[in-house]
Amino acid sequence: MWARRVAVEKRRWLNDSEFADIVSLCQFMPGPNIVGIAVCVGAKMRGTIGTIAAVSGFLVIPWVIGLSVGLLFLEYAHLAVLRNILGGIAATAAGLLIATGIRLLLPHRRRPAAVLFAVLAFGLITFAKLPLLVVLFGLVPVSIAVARIENARAG
Amino acid sequence: MTGPSAPIALTAHLALVSSISFGGFPTVLPDVRNFVVGTHGWMTDQDFANIFAMAQSIPGPNMILMMSFVGWKVWGFPGAVASAFATFGPPCTIYFASYRLWERFRDAPWQRIVRLGLVPVIMGLVIASGTVMARAADTSWRAVAVSLAAAVMTLATRLSPMWMLLLGGALGGLGLL
Repeated sequence: MWARRVAVEKRRWLNDSEFADIVSLCQFMPGPNIVGIAVCVGAKMRGTIGTIAAVSGFLVIPWVIGLSVGLLFLEYAHLAVLRNILGGIAATAAGLLIATGIRLLLPHRRRPAAVLFAVLAFGLITFAKLPLLVVLFGLVPVSIAVARIENARAG
Repeated sequence: MTGPSAPIALTAHLALVSSISFGGFPTVLPDVRNFVVGTHGWMTDQDFANIFAMAQSIPGPNMILMMSFVGWKVWGFPGAVASAFATFGPPCTIYFASYRLWERFRDAPWQRIVRLGLVPVIMGLVIASGTVMARAADTSWRAVAVSLAAAVMTLATRLSPMWMLLLGGALGGLGLL
């Protein structure tokens, strides 16, 4: 992960454990992870100005490049070859997402409640097609409450 | 198809889902797909799958890029910029505010409990997202087989996702899907 290499190894802005803290915060906050990491590294170093600087550096240039390349492709999306290539990539990328979810769920497989909430979230989105807001705010509080009860019993 | 209210509706919706996009970009995909393909008909499933393929294969902030392409489809360049801001603005603000709080409660036991409760739900959402995108992208049984193969290979081998995306793109380009 190159964000760590730059912030910790090359520039020595932060040490490893500070960086690990930031990553763990970002993993359970909303939004694109890399943006969160940029905001937190910037905030840690220079406050508000640092945050703004980090976000522009992390986002603006990659965004401009990515958007230009992408729009160029979209311009030619009517070409059969390009459409077929994009179709193949989309099919692969969908499979990768499924695998990512399964892999990150595996450490929780021995907790029946965790499996149940994962299955509920999956089903409510895939089959019931409920809005994300409804699913998230319906399930997460209950899931956290159950985790709390489990924790109290264990400890 | 794009009255003046369309860009506003899209931007507002993206700002809302990005504020609750725990786990990042994958969790919001089904919701955004329903909004732009299902509810409003601004694009087809095929368009949405194309944009998804592009955002996944171009390096860079792929959630923001994905939403910018969606914004572009609805309202051209201003739509792309508005969607980008709607995607990273609200989470940025939330991060900035919560960063200080997080420092203060770093070792509090509730953090672990919140994570234990949150992670399984998020992972269910990520798997759902993959399934919804597979449904949008997989127009033939061979494409379904490619999605399945990509999932199995990711779980069973250490092959880099980049190679798999290249392979998938090549199979598609050769007209095999």
